[in-house]
Formats: sequence, structure tokens, C-alpha cells
Amino acid sequence: MTIVARTARPIEARVSRGLWSDASRRLLRNKPALVGLVLIVTFIGVAFLAPLVAPYGPYEQRVGGSLEPPGAAHLFGTDLLGRDMFSRVLFGAQISLQVGVIAVLMALTMGGIIGSLAGGLGGRVDSVLMRTVDVLLAIPGILLAIGIIAWLGRGMLQLMLAIAITYAPIFARLLRGSLLALRESDYVIAARALGASRARLLARHMLPNALTPLIVQATLILATAIIDIAGLGFLGLGPPDPRTPEWGTMLVDARRFLQTAPHIVFFVGGAIVVSAIGFNLLGDGLRESLDPRLKR
Amino acid sequence: MALLDVQDLVVRFRTHDGTIHAVNGVSFELEAGETLGLVGESGCGKSVTNLAIMRLLPKPAGRIEGGRVLFDGLDVLAMSESEVRDLRGKEIAMIFQDPMTSLNPVLTIEEQIVETIRAHRRMSMADARKQTIQLLEMVGIPGPEDRLKSFPHQFSGGMRQRVMIAMALALEPKLLVADEPTTALDVTIQAQVLDLLGRLTTEGGTALIIITHDLGVVAGMTQRINVMYAGFIVETAPTDELFARPSHPYTVGLLHSIPKVTEREDEELIPIEGRPPDMREAPVGCPFAARCAWRLEQCWTENPVLRPLDAGARLVTTGPKATHRIACHNPPTADEAHEGRPLRAGFRAAPAPAGRIDELAMAVEAGT
Repeated sequence: MTIVARTARPIEARVSRGLWSDASRRLLRNKPALVGLVLIVTFIGVAFLAPLVAPYGPYEQRVGGSLEPPGAAHLFGTDLLGRDMFSRVLFGAQISLQVGVIAVLMALTMGGIIGSLAGGLGGRVDSVLMRTVDVLLAIPGILLAIGIIAWLGRGMLQLMLAIAITYAPIFARLLRGSLLALRESDYVIAARALGASRARLLARHMLPNALTPLIVQATLILATAIIDIAGLGFLGLGPPDPRTPEWGTMLVDARRFLQTAPHIVFFVGGAIVVSAIGFNLLGDGLRESLDPRLKR
Repeated sequence: MALLDVQDLVVRFRTHDGTIHAVNGVSFELEAGETLGLVGESGCGKSVTNLAIMRLLPKPAGRIEGGRVLFDGLDVLAMSESEVRDLRGKEIAMIFQDPMTSLNPVLTIEEQIVETIRAHRRMSMADARKQTIQLLEMVGIPGPEDRLKSFPHQFSGGMRQRVMIAMALALEPKLLVADEPTTALDVTIQAQVLDLLGRLTTEGGTALIIITHDLGVVAGMTQRINVMYAGFIVETAPTDELFARPSHPYTVGLLHSIPKVTEREDEELIPIEGRPPDMREAPVGCPFAARCAWRLEQCWTENPVLRPLDAGARLVTTGPKATHRIACHNPPTADEAHEGRPLRAGFRAAPAPAGRIDELAMAVEAGT
């Protein structure tokens, strides 16, 4: 009986549904990545919904409500000027996300162009570009960013540009490496043997296959970028307006009251840490789920 | 005029370890619609020869340092990059050894074939798609309409090789080069794929070069075989003639190192002792001398040229009546070829000349 029942059950073959649906299925099975995903979704949600969710405006001051501890009225307490910290942290997420994502996208574009030129053309172009990249990589990231802001002046765009230039070499290197490996791969040679042009080889056959590590790296670098943005803000190189609810800038103010009102540092620092951890976990998860060799 | 005319092709690779003498003056011709087998062990230059013909040698290491390649009367080596690109795919197509890695994993089968067609022909998407379905049908992929959107990893190895064949034949090239087309496949699939290749090229009048290390693969398929060793063609003959009358010691050795199911039980396998010569050294003498049981004194110093086996025969370089030619100073007799060893009374392979310390030669000496 049981045997009949068992064999009668229709066997559902596990059909592969392409790279991305496979990857997302694997991602959802990966616990840490899932945690990261939840954190990031929250982070992005908060950033977008800040004007709606925040109980107060980021610049709204209240006389007599200075340095209040967390409570029912002010979830994260207030700062020296009586501004609601919860609202400011939410708006801070907006700034970090905006600056971080734009900066990383800029880095990805710059690095992508340099990497494709180097890996695609090879020869002397490759040598010149890669030695330049080596020089940039030799300078510690935050120092390079400080130098760039010192050179270009303070401002949101300059901040993004500084972060972008700091991370572009990493993408350039990564992409060039993948392209070099792909150039010798069987299917690229096969496509060449069938008469594909150099541009087509690069655009259709090599770049799409080199994308995965870039996506993973971009996610991981977003985490570092958020920390760097806060770091630059802390050093007074953040947004030109000191009132801007930027996490790093907020920390500078809060530092003076570390003993009397530690909640400010705690919540701002916590926000930085949590978002960075979120991107890190997600990045690691993406790496595992996008790598077909780890396919289970 | 031959479809493909390769004369004195010399290919070298400049590496950190020195210069690799990969192909050392190879000449052969191919008529339209002819099938040719290129046989030899790994590293003998058979693949490099064909990559050179298509100008696909890895840059900057691989260089064509001499010779001439005429395809349809056009000098391939003098062409500009864009002219060669026109040639590839449209006139000469190539199938590679490993179907598992020769298709782009991120593009669907449809995208890859349609792209190949449209790279060379003005054709609408819909027409190219229609042709793709016909091609897939032709190579025996069941339900081609439903498989168009499939990715390479959703196909088995044999099916992928069929897709590769469909892609290669998409533009009805005049010459198809198949580089070890069945090595990565199951034995049961091998015959099917070879069959398909043979049938389609015959139907379409496409000339075919099959590169292989396995004489069994080319036995029933090609009209002619070139046996290559260390960057030289050492024997060339129509396929039946080659199997009936193998005449170069290397060919004889190859045939005696393949187990035969039908032969008598005590049939002895005679391995070819030693290893191929170090390709980093410019060849002196016959490249096979160190491993050869028939070698003479002069084999060490004088590289024999390709000569008709029957002296005075009229030279025919292509087709089923091609002249049987070998490059050997002391070819084995028919009996010796049959036995796989020299039978002449008192004959001993000539020792390596003084000053030349050749471990391989000594190994062969010790063995005989």
C-alpha cells in the first residue's frame, strides 16, 4: 500500500529558474544574510519614510528641553538644542544612504570604466591605468578622502566624490582581474572564433559574467562608506551646514556630553554600527548565493 | 585552387621560460568539402596550427613567425583584424573541446545563436529566431521552440555540443574546425555527435578538420589524416591507406598503443617509450629520434622532410587519392609496422651522438 502511495506521488523536479531566482532562493535560506536583508530594508525604509515617520523635524528646537534622556515624548532623548534625537537619527539615515549609495555608484562607474579599459584593451593602457590604481590603493582610504576634501573644499558633492575616488580603484582592480580571467575562458574564445567583435565580446560576454563580484563588493563597500562618511563628518569634513543631521557630525556634538547625556552617542553610534553590519551581512550572503560553486 | 592552403607555418610562443617551438613548418592543403583529421598527442601543435589559421593565438605570447595561410585565395595572415573577424564564423567556424565551458553561462541559447547570426548577416530578430529554431532542430534538440529560453547549464554535455555545432553551422561556413569535439563527452554520446558532425558537413558541403589525439575518432570519418609530432607533420595519407600501411615509426607506435577488441588475446600493447621533446629547444634532427626504435645515425642530426612513400609517385596533396607521404629516414617495413618493432637481423637503434646526453634515449636503449 505504502509503496503504491509513494510511487504514485508526482515527482516534482527542481527546475533551475535562472541565475537571479536561484540566487534569491539561496539568499533567503541563509540566516545571517536574511538578518542583514531585514536590517537594510529597515534602513532604506526609514530613510525614505523619515519625513512621514519622524515625530519632529530634524531642525526643530525646543527651549528648555535640552539633553533630555530617552522617554515617551522623545524615544532617543534630545540633544543640547532640544532637538528630537529619534527624528535626527532617522533623517541621518536618509543622508547616509543618499551619500553612500551615490558615492558607491560613482565609484562603481569610475572603477568600471577604468577596469574595462585596462582589462579589455590590455597592453600599455592596462599598465598605465593599473599602476595609477596601485598608487591610489597605497594611500589609506580615509587619508585620501581627507586630502580630496581639503583640495575640493567641503560640500555634499565633494564628500561623495571623495568617497567615490577612494573606492574606485578597488572596483577597477576587481573588474580587471575578472576580465583577464574571462578573456582566456572557453566561451569568450569560442565567441571570438565565431566572429564576435571586441566591443561585443566585452559588453555581452565578459562584463555580464564579471558583474557578480562587483555587486558583492559594492554592498560590502557601502558598509565601509557609511562608516567613512560618519568619520569624515566627525572630523568636521562632512556637510558644510553643521546643523545637518549627519551621523558623524551629530557625534561631534554629542561627544562633549558623553558623561551627562550618553544616550546621544549611544543611539547615533548604534545607528552607524547597525547599518554597517546590515550591509556586511547582506554582502557576505550575496557572495555565497551568487557563487554557483557554492550551489547546494 | 585549394580552399585552405597552409605553407611552412611556423608558430612560436615567447614565454618566461623561453621560446616554445610549437609549430615548425607545417604545410597542408584542404579542398572544399574535404574532411581531414589532425592527429597527435597533447602539445604536438595540432590545436595551435588551427588557432593560427584563425588568428586566434593568445596575445602577446603566441606569434606566427613564418609561412603563409591562404583561405579561398585570400592571405589570412595579412588581413586586418576586422577582415579576420568577417572570416571567423562566416567562412571558418570552430567547435571547441569542452561544451561545458564553451557557452556563455549568462546568455540563453537563443541569444547566443541569434547574436552569432546577426553579427554577420542583416536579418530581423524574428527571422534570426526562426533560423535558430531550424538549426536546433537540425542538430537534434527535441522541442527547440521550448529550449530557446534555456540557459546552457540546463543542457547536458552532449546537448551543449549540439548547440555548439548549431552555432558553428549557423552561417554555413566553408570550413569547420572541430578541436577534440568529443573528448569531454560520454562514450555513448561521442558516436552520436561525430555522426551528426559528419552528416551535416557532408550535406552542407562544408570542409571539416577534426583535431584529435584519438585515431579511433577519425578512423571512420575523415578522407585524409595528418599525423603531427612536435610541431611537424610526420605522416599524411588517405585514412584507409594510413590504417592499412602506417609507415612512420610514430604512427606505427600510436596504432600499437591502442588496445583492439577484435585482435587476438595475446596481442601485445607496445607503448611509445619516453616523452615528446622539450619544445623549448629548437629542433635538431628528427624530433622523434629519441623515442624511435628505427633511428639511424643521421636521424640525430638531419630532420627528414615529408616525401612520398613510393618514390617517384606523382604528388597529390588533397582528396582521397592524396599521395602517402612520410618524414622518415628509415621507415619500418610492412612486417615491422605490423609487429611494431624492427625485425631486420642485427639492427639496433643508433645511440645518441657523443656530447648529447639524452635521458630519453638512454631509457629507450635500456628497454631494448
